[in-house]
Amino acid sequence: MRRRARRIRRAVVGLAVALFAATFLVVYVQLASGHDPALVANAAKRRAASPSVTSTEASAAESSTATSTRSEASTGSEESSSGASAVTTSQS
Amino acid sequence: MHANDVSILATAVGPHLFWITSRAAGIAALVLASLSVCVGLLMGGRLLRAHRPDLRVAHEALSLATLAALVVHGLTLLGDGYLHPSLGDIAVPFLSGYKTFWTSLGIVAFWALLVLGLSYYARSRIGVQRWRKLHRFAALAWILGLAHSLGEGTDAGQAWFLAMIAIVAVPALGLLLARLRRGASVSAPSSRAADQAPVRQPSIAQ
Repeated sequence: MRRRARRIRRAVVGLAVALFAATFLVVYVQLASGHDPALVANAAKRRAASPSVTSTEASAAESSTATSTRSEASTGSEESSSGASAVTTSQS
Repeated sequence: MHANDVSILATAVGPHLFWITSRAAGIAALVLASLSVCVGLLMGGRLLRAHRPDLRVAHEALSLATLAALVVHGLTLLGDGYLHPSLGDIAVPFLSGYKTFWTSLGIVAFWALLVLGLSYYARSRIGVQRWRKLHRFAALAWILGLAHSLGEGTDAGQAWFLAMIAIVAVPALGLLLARLRRGASVSAPSSRAADQAPVRQPSIAQ
């Protein structure tokens, strides 16, 4: 009975770790490939703000992994969060 | 993929590692909590009599795994270079300026789950009957967590996220509704008799 309980606990721990790893991988790939929902929304906002950017330039910027400032702060915390530019990733 | 591409990806994602970890831990916590609620309701509703001790162990392990994932979800946010939250921002409701309502909902859900979950180990002091009544609120805390993830979660609009959550949350919601409907018709004497069961019996059921 005790062995059975230990087996169940191990299975749950394994499930939790696998779940975390799988989700981490999905979010990581999503972000790295430029399809992260927060970053894409921000890219679209910037594109709308600067109409001089051509559509090809804009789509290139959207798919690039280099453009990665988050858009969540647009709901009100932009003033309080001074580090918005700090997370802009660098790509050479 | 060349090694150069990999290094570019790593460089691009590097500053967001805390953010990604927090998101992954939050989603994992939600799935684990939903599974835990499912198992708890299956036990409490006496829908699966055959493997009750196994279900109790699974429910307990899933609950503890949920709490661990929630701790990771909150603490990794402290390292996020974008939000720069303080410990108060992630632990005290209505203190954070970032999506205050949804953030507070998540914080309240976490504290409720922590207190209600860990109270299992003090149920002999609390009194089994009182503890059972208290433990029912864990389902409410889970619903608050669900609302927090759908209201604030970065991935809330993503198909993979919604599918992942639906697979575990819809059965849990169904079981909860069935339990609430059945709970109204359960007679008081029978539940009182069940409450007098010994403490070491599988009594984590809601």
